[in-house]
Amino acid sequence: MSTDSCHHCRLPIPPADAIIDRIDGQELRFCCQGCRSVYRIISGAGLGTYYEKRQLSRSGLPAGTVQDTYDDAYLSGFVSERHGKGELSFLIEGIRCASCVWLVERYVGSLAGVSEIRLNYGTHRGRVVFDPLAVSPGAIFAAVARLGYTPRPFSYDAARQAEEREQRTTLIRFGTACFLSMQLMGYSLALYAGYFQGIDPASRTLMQYFAALVTTPVVFYSGWPFLRGALRSLRTRTANMDLLIALGVLSAYGASLFALYGGGEVYFDTAAMIVTLILAGRLFEGSARRRAASGVDRLLRLTPEIAHREIGTTTEVVATGSLRIGDILLVRPGERLPVDGTILAGSTEIDEAAVSGEPLPVLRIAGDPVTAGTLNLSASVRVQVTAPAADSFVARVARLVEEAQSRRAPVQRLADRVAALFVPLVVLVAGATFSYWIWAAGTVDPLLAAVAVLVIACPCALGLATPTAVLVATGASAERGILFRGGDVLEGTARLTLAAFDKTGTLTEGKPKIAAIRPLAGSEEDLLNLVARAEGGSNHPLAKCIVAEARRRGLESGDGGGIRTLPGLGVELDLEEGMLRVGSRRFLQQAGIGGMDPFSGEALTEIHAALGDRYLGSILCEDTLRPEAADAVARLRRLGIGTAILTGDTVEAARSIGDRLGIDEVHGALSPGDKAEWVKNAMARGERVLMVGDGINDAPALSEADVGCAMAGGTDIALETSDLVLTRPDLTTLVAGVEVARRTLGIIRQNLFWAFAYNILALPLAAAGELAPIHAAAAMAASSICVVGNSLRLKNL
Amino acid sequence: MHSSTLILIILSLFLGTGVWLVFIWAVKKGEFDDIEGAKYRMLEDDLPPTRQGEDVDEKSPFP
Repeated sequence: MSTDSCHHCRLPIPPADAIIDRIDGQELRFCCQGCRSVYRIISGAGLGTYYEKRQLSRSGLPAGTVQDTYDDAYLSGFVSERHGKGELSFLIEGIRCASCVWLVERYVGSLAGVSEIRLNYGTHRGRVVFDPLAVSPGAIFAAVARLGYTPRPFSYDAARQAEEREQRTTLIRFGTACFLSMQLMGYSLALYAGYFQGIDPASRTLMQYFAALVTTPVVFYSGWPFLRGALRSLRTRTANMDLLIALGVLSAYGASLFALYGGGEVYFDTAAMIVTLILAGRLFEGSARRRAASGVDRLLRLTPEIAHREIGTTTEVVATGSLRIGDILLVRPGERLPVDGTILAGSTEIDEAAVSGEPLPVLRIAGDPVTAGTLNLSASVRVQVTAPAADSFVARVARLVEEAQSRRAPVQRLADRVAALFVPLVVLVAGATFSYWIWAAGTVDPLLAAVAVLVIACPCALGLATPTAVLVATGASAERGILFRGGDVLEGTARLTLAAFDKTGTLTEGKPKIAAIRPLAGSEEDLLNLVARAEGGSNHPLAKCIVAEARRRGLESGDGGGIRTLPGLGVELDLEEGMLRVGSRRFLQQAGIGGMDPFSGEALTEIHAALGDRYLGSILCEDTLRPEAADAVARLRRLGIGTAILTGDTVEAARSIGDRLGIDEVHGALSPGDKAEWVKNAMARGERVLMVGDGINDAPALSEADVGCAMAGGTDIALETSDLVLTRPDLTTLVAGVEVARRTLGIIRQNLFWAFAYNILALPLAAAGELAPIHAAAAMAASSICVVGNSLRLKNL
Repeated sequence: MHSSTLILIILSLFLGTGVWLVFIWAVKKGEFDDIEGAKYRMLEDDLPPTRQGEDVDEKSPFP
């Protein structure tokens, strides 16, 4: 009794909705039957420690669809067989924390016939191994759904398998390089000690042979990606980092082999360390970039895989992909629309937030179009299919995203651009050195001097210049709520010249708030009290904001009893004084009530109230601006970044927001393709565009832009298709992200300076034949330490 | 001197190779795929051995 929040999901419980249950001698309160059922399942399965382990950052249940049946025939298509066991991969929506992973694994793992289940915390993908004779795929999915999560079958296509194989191979190459380089350093230490203190010639030769033994696999196995890249670079006649790396590595290795038989100094440690350190940098960069590719997957998973098609007087479950134009579907409350269609019968309210980002449910009646991926809220409806699954709105957006992602050339790395100039210079210097010493015919071996030049050009520090700065910057930024998805995103963010914003949920809160209360007579509290009584039982966002305001002012709200809801119009409640009507202007006009003010034209939502035939007044609600939006826009302008608004809303609504924020360029009534087209045109004009949004109608523009930025709380699709994610819904974090990126670019340039300073000092010494291997190694280490140390300065952002 | 040094070097190479093989086995087994979940897994307690499949099914309110 002391708490009015649900024991399972921690949401506040409207008093009339409380469900009290006695479980294990305790009286517990829940907000709905779903939470009570899930709690019983969790307790019954002996998994009560779920409540101790979970760390909810947001209360509430996952927003997935309610799907009460999983078709075994359909799911069988995703099951692969291995050693008599079935294996099924799936994607689970609604995973929030490690407790969710734990709960699903324990509960599904306890089903009879399930021998193994593993859920990946980071990607929300799982794999279950089961006995097909003891349990069916449908039963496994139903078990997951009973806990409140939404499972979806998931199949690894060839491209994804190849990608994962490549990832593991890279990790193995790096591990191999690390192990062998550690062995190598033991031998090199002996050789360096011998250089200072003297060493027995036989022992020296032995160490050199062992060094050669362990260096060979580092160079040719771990370093194979660089060698292959260098070959490609030579074939296309363009110099890049791989060519620079290969030149240094092969020069050091070749010279060392030569010295092994000729009795000179060896550079095996140089060759191995180049490969190891640069491979480490590539590994760090690669893991960040891989996440960006999963956005299209999430987009295509937004629509359900099965649909209920009417056949005569009954319905059958069919795969969504098999639907044809003209089919008639039954869509029940809590289900998502599987395809685009038109409502044939019935009326309902649809949550289109996942598709458009608009926060309010929309009334749809017979004849209205509906969009795949939207969530049916109120009532069952019959829908006629107007486009097959492959041509639905969501599928078209997914294709736009894929086109944008493939068309966009990756930002050329600064290091690669530098290497393109550096490689010819180094080769030229080496050639000149060789020629000079041939001509001088004196104290220095021409070949050794030329090789020393190539070895000294080894780009250890150059290769570390960018990855170390990016690694430190992305780590420090993440602590401040800014997630950069890769180093190229950092470089792109630093160069932005134009920021385009979506409106709802990005510049505005996405939650309605009361802007004004206009009673015709009497006080604001009187009007608010009456309206709150009528709206108390509703879950509509507008109703929620009215009830919240009433509570804030200490007024009572109704419990929903006796209220009749008219979808899209309003509510009715019989009182002693007469019938209380609260709702839209049209609602009151239909009831014959006059006296309302003309429409003001402001971008506000009006809620009118009448008692009997007497008009009482209106309450205006607005989707309020984020409090920090104006400040963020002003700061972006001071950074030299222009601003624009791109929205699917009307031009008037967008201009109203733009005027208040000081954004001059405003474009309204845009489709997802229009937004992407606008971004593309701006980039064609030479602008570096940042797109900020939160809905999947922003996904194509987010992919098309130089940098796509998603707001926290936006749809999963927007989050996954963007390069930059703000984990807190605060636009000033975006400005901080730009500042961090610019500072990081400065650090990278400083790192490159240190790298080149090393080369500029060392090259003449090498050319003169004055540089011994020990000095070269020490200088290289010093240069790398400078680069890493400089990068660490980014920790103090 | 030489023979003992040689033995030590070869021994360290074999030990290192063993560790390297364990590393490769771990990568191929997928141990490095989910680096985020691992830090939570260590907090999990094993279930009491008496609770196994059939027992759980009997307790479940939704058979």
